[in-house]
Amino acid sequence: MLLAVNCLDVHYGYAKALHDVTLHLLKGEVVCIAGRNGAGKTTLLKTIAGFLKPSKGSILFDQKPIHGFALEKISLMGIRYVFQDKRVFGELTVRENIELAAYPTKEKVSDSISRILNLYPRMSVLMDSKAKGLSGGQRQILLIGRALIGEPKLLLIDEPTEGLSAGIIEEILNVIMRMKGELSMLVVEQNLSVVSRMADRVYIMKEGSIFKEIVDRAVIEQSNALEGYL
Amino acid sequence: MREKHKEKDVTAKVRNSGALGVVVIALGFILFGSATSIYRTTDFIIFCIFVLGFDLLYGHMGRLSFGHMLFFGSGAYGAGLLVRYATPNPLAAILVGICGGALVGAILGPVVVRATGACFALINLAFNQVGYFLALVGFAKFTGGEDGLSLTFSKIPFLSIANPKVFFGFTLFCLCLTYYFLKRVTASPYGILLRTIKENETRAQFIGYNTYRYKWITYVLSSSISAFAGALATVNYGYVNPSFIDPTRNVEVIFAALIGGAGNLYGAILGGVSYMVISNYLARYIPRWEMFLGLALLVLVFKFREGIWGNILSVWKSRTQTGA
Repeated sequence: MLLAVNCLDVHYGYAKALHDVTLHLLKGEVVCIAGRNGAGKTTLLKTIAGFLKPSKGSILFDQKPIHGFALEKISLMGIRYVFQDKRVFGELTVRENIELAAYPTKEKVSDSISRILNLYPRMSVLMDSKAKGLSGGQRQILLIGRALIGEPKLLLIDEPTEGLSAGIIEEILNVIMRMKGELSMLVVEQNLSVVSRMADRVYIMKEGSIFKEIVDRAVIEQSNALEGYL
Repeated sequence: MREKHKEKDVTAKVRNSGALGVVVIALGFILFGSATSIYRTTDFIIFCIFVLGFDLLYGHMGRLSFGHMLFFGSGAYGAGLLVRYATPNPLAAILVGICGGALVGAILGPVVVRATGACFALINLAFNQVGYFLALVGFAKFTGGEDGLSLTFSKIPFLSIANPKVFFGFTLFCLCLTYYFLKRVTASPYGILLRTIKENETRAQFIGYNTYRYKWITYVLSSSISAFAGALATVNYGYVNPSFIDPTRNVEVIFAALIGGAGNLYGAILGGVSYMVISNYLARYIPRWEMFLGLALLVLVFKFREGIWGNILSVWKSRTQTGA
């Protein structure tokens, strides 16, 4: 088991945002978390990434507890977080964004750039442009590509297709599908047709808790069936 | 392979633009010094080094300090105390001044760099106030209190500091050295990280950086450069007194960085010169010249937020784009 979240509680001040969340993720698996707005999906990802500290429970990564660790330590252990808001370092060029992610992992910058160009060849003409000039889809691909630098073990992706057009969603889905099997991914996604196509398992969250775990492929592949659980 | 070539190209580009910058700065100050006064221009140059040190922290890393005079004063008093109590060698005094500023920065850094925004600015101011008190009262026995220390430097063969032209050349060399060093630093991966910390520190942590360590290193670098300026000022004036560490003078370096355009080395130098021109020459014609400075700041804040250099760049970019 790559990731095990056990009985996790998270508070924002006095408000309880997650109660008793338990889930797991196997190596190479793509697990989606679906749920309505405010269900606690992003809070869960942020807690696993180390941005929020749990008030109760544990998070084990590769059998080792990681809750309470510093963000950079969790990142260097191989967990990468792709934010929902698609914010790259806008004042830096695309190349500098990649360079910056490559240095702490000790991966060669040229290898990192090649990796991203393999995922999305059209990025080659944008290398020396400021990242703030990229479209939403290009930013998302840069963020996913940047997260892949240094060969992480687990990718946490928050709403990768939110606010993007159908064509771009298809491109991002292709990028994610190409990584499937090689990399474990925990993806928060509200677009159930996207969930149906990429997920091996689905957790449904409601009001800060895991409401249901869906493992049945027949159910997962029908977005209408998933809709019924929300 | 192509990427490796590109990396080498970038390094060569930085080296070349750095060398060009050194030539432009040197020529600019030599012309300015010849047209005005060597004494004054030496003062301007020292102040520009101070602004460069301050701007590394403010313009490049996004941390505004209200207490940088502490480091200027640490350098000044470090140099002064060495000359008074150990050796009158001016070069040793400058070196000890730099080390003094670096030491103060290294000690305070772990506490200060944890803060951001107004808290960061005010903690610096508080420490500056403590330093001022220590120089004025606490260690008055050594620092000379309000009167300060009057200093005499020994002669060294290749640096006759009593000769204004020689000392002008020496300070100009120091400025060029500081500029070139900072040019290399800010264009390096470390410099990229600084801009990232300024833009979004949490995101930098998410990609694996211990930003605390880098902020501390930057704080020490900035304090060392500021102390360098302080030590040079002590050697230039031949005395040191509490005005070298006075917290009320922090406004000078902040104004200079804003006027020139924060986050750019040319901007820091232009700001330093502009501030010194206003404070030295405008005072001849307008008794309350500080009021003019206040108005200038208002205009900057409302109309030219990127400062002189930032606006020159914007105009240049828009013209080249229109031309293309």
